[in-house]
Amino acid sequence: MTRYKKQDPEITRRKFINAALGAGAAVGTVSLVTTLGAAKPAFRLTPDKAPPQPGDILVHADASKEGQPIKMSELSEQGVSAWPMGKDKDGNNVIRKAEPNNQLAVFRFEKDRFKAPEEGGHAHVVLELDGITDQGVVVYSSICTHAGCPVPNDPNDATKLFCGCHSGQYDLLQGCKVIGGPPPRSMPQVPVEMKGDQLVLKDTFVTAPFGFLNEADWETYLEQVKEILG
Amino acid sequence: MNQWLDDRLHISRLNDKFLRKAFPVHHSFFLGEITLFSLIVLILTGILLALSYEPSNSLVVNSFDPGTKANPNLVPAAYHSALKINAMPFGDMLRRIHHWMANIMVAAAVIHMMRIYFTGAFKKPREINWWIGMLLLIFASLTAVTGYILPYDNYAYNTVKVIYAITKSVPWIGDWAAQAAFAGRFPGDGIIPRIYGYHIMLLPGILLALTGAHMLIMIKQKHTQPQYAKRLAYKKIVGVPLMTQQTPIMLLLVLLFTGLVVLFSAFIPVHSVEYYGPPSTQAISSIKPDWYLLWVFGALAIIPGFEWEVLGGVISAEFVGAMIFPGIIMAAMFAVPMLDRSKENMYYAENPTNHPVRLAAGVAFLVMMIVLSVAGYKIELIQGGLLTTANANAILWILTIGLPIVSYFAVLGIVRMIRALREADERDALAHAHADD
Repeated sequence: MTRYKKQDPEITRRKFINAALGAGAAVGTVSLVTTLGAAKPAFRLTPDKAPPQPGDILVHADASKEGQPIKMSELSEQGVSAWPMGKDKDGNNVIRKAEPNNQLAVFRFEKDRFKAPEEGGHAHVVLELDGITDQGVVVYSSICTHAGCPVPNDPNDATKLFCGCHSGQYDLLQGCKVIGGPPPRSMPQVPVEMKGDQLVLKDTFVTAPFGFLNEADWETYLEQVKEILG
Repeated sequence: MNQWLDDRLHISRLNDKFLRKAFPVHHSFFLGEITLFSLIVLILTGILLALSYEPSNSLVVNSFDPGTKANPNLVPAAYHSALKINAMPFGDMLRRIHHWMANIMVAAAVIHMMRIYFTGAFKKPREINWWIGMLLLIFASLTAVTGYILPYDNYAYNTVKVIYAITKSVPWIGDWAAQAAFAGRFPGDGIIPRIYGYHIMLLPGILLALTGAHMLIMIKQKHTQPQYAKRLAYKKIVGVPLMTQQTPIMLLLVLLFTGLVVLFSAFIPVHSVEYYGPPSTQAISSIKPDWYLLWVFGALAIIPGFEWEVLGGVISAEFVGAMIFPGIIMAAMFAVPMLDRSKENMYYAENPTNHPVRLAAGVAFLVMMIVLSVAGYKIELIQGGLLTTANANAILWILTIGLPIVSYFAVLGIVRMIRALREADERDALAHAHADD
């Protein structure tokens, strides 16, 4: 009889199968999630993705004239789309258009119409009067801080911008301060000066542009850019 | 042949189990069928379109307008293939049929859902199918959104830029999630292949699986019966069997319906990719999503700007408007079978006027969706001089909250009146009946 006596197994069959299934599911899930991680490609910062840099020249962004320097005679209250054009390490011209949020808009008003942004409403409105040329040329980011649409002029008032996406409104004479709609921040100015007959940037965006959580996030990114591009 | 097949496959059992399924005879029961047929036509036209579409945003020379050798006219391959589809025989028609059919599929699904809601057909035992239906609605919208990005013209480019921004606005994980979902920082090199994969593989797969589950559960649980069935044969399934009575009706319906959509497509063009051109820096003065997402768009337009920093993440107006708010609306719709329950299994569709609160809540909900969709036209309302920048948000918010409340009580009042009249009629009829005796 002893031949048929069953030893008590250390674990039951059900326990074993449950544990095996659980382990299999865990390994499978982890490996699948790892594969999912490959869905996000690595980001490589190249000069054509860098934010506007001091010394960059403003060139047309419109497809028909892309890459041609913007001339004073072409400017008015209606914004002209522009890309910053800098140099890469070898000294070749690079239009920084691989980052669509680098899109800028150039406007021209009489210089005495600009005024310091009124307090209240939204934080982070900076208007550097030094960054407006004597002829009254001012440059702002063209990208709405709400959802990243390029913002055209308000058809009823050229001193304002009116976003076609979610009705964000900005005042061009007050540092692109938000005067209506959902945008959380003003669109940042980019200080510029006239050098010869070219518009040359004196600085990058004065406050955080669209795509950055806050000023600190933007500052960190600027430092990374400096480190990588030298 | 039947015998030959039956010997091998036992199709008579299939026949007994599925093909004899009784379909109630009422026109409102065709709405779900129209949704299903639209899906089939969408798959067929989608396959044909996929045969000619090039899923890539690499730049190629535009063969219709090559530019010069020194300065070639480069456009994304996806956009170029959309131009080629438009130029090919029947190509533009295919795009039109696919586009209008998608709109009609969502519309039919929404009206189908209204029928289910107002007649209480979501109650026990059919809660699961309500939830699957909700998922179908959500995934159908996602499929549609990824679909209108594919031609990759300037309109599509701006749309996907906003969708990227919305994904990115999710606190803490948004940046990573947006890059993972859209193949890198916008506009990633692989963005069009990625969206193509979603639109033709992932999302249709999910839609088909959910549709299959929806159908099987419906066959298992049987349709809710219209009220006439109660009078005809109480607690018996009344209707015409799928094979062979319902099948010719369905075939007639699908042919007539598809014919109408094709006719409609022949005359009404869709979004012109040539007009908007390839992705550019050109701002679009008024950009709108499709009608069934206009309410989210409206909510985004009237939520004022704010940013709160919470534990290193930023909660922005964009996140609240495009994620939290629609999330609450969806959660409310998911919760319907838990809010209005019955202990017993439901057999018969309910008369909406016997459930005035549910009816009024449903109407109020629809009114709110419509007001929010109108708020999506805030730009036009301001530029047209109807509202001003200063008062637009206040007025639109008052309407968004006020009109649903007004319509809620209006519906309750009207239903009370209808019922009072009906009861008076019944009393009269009863009194006269007695007088006759």
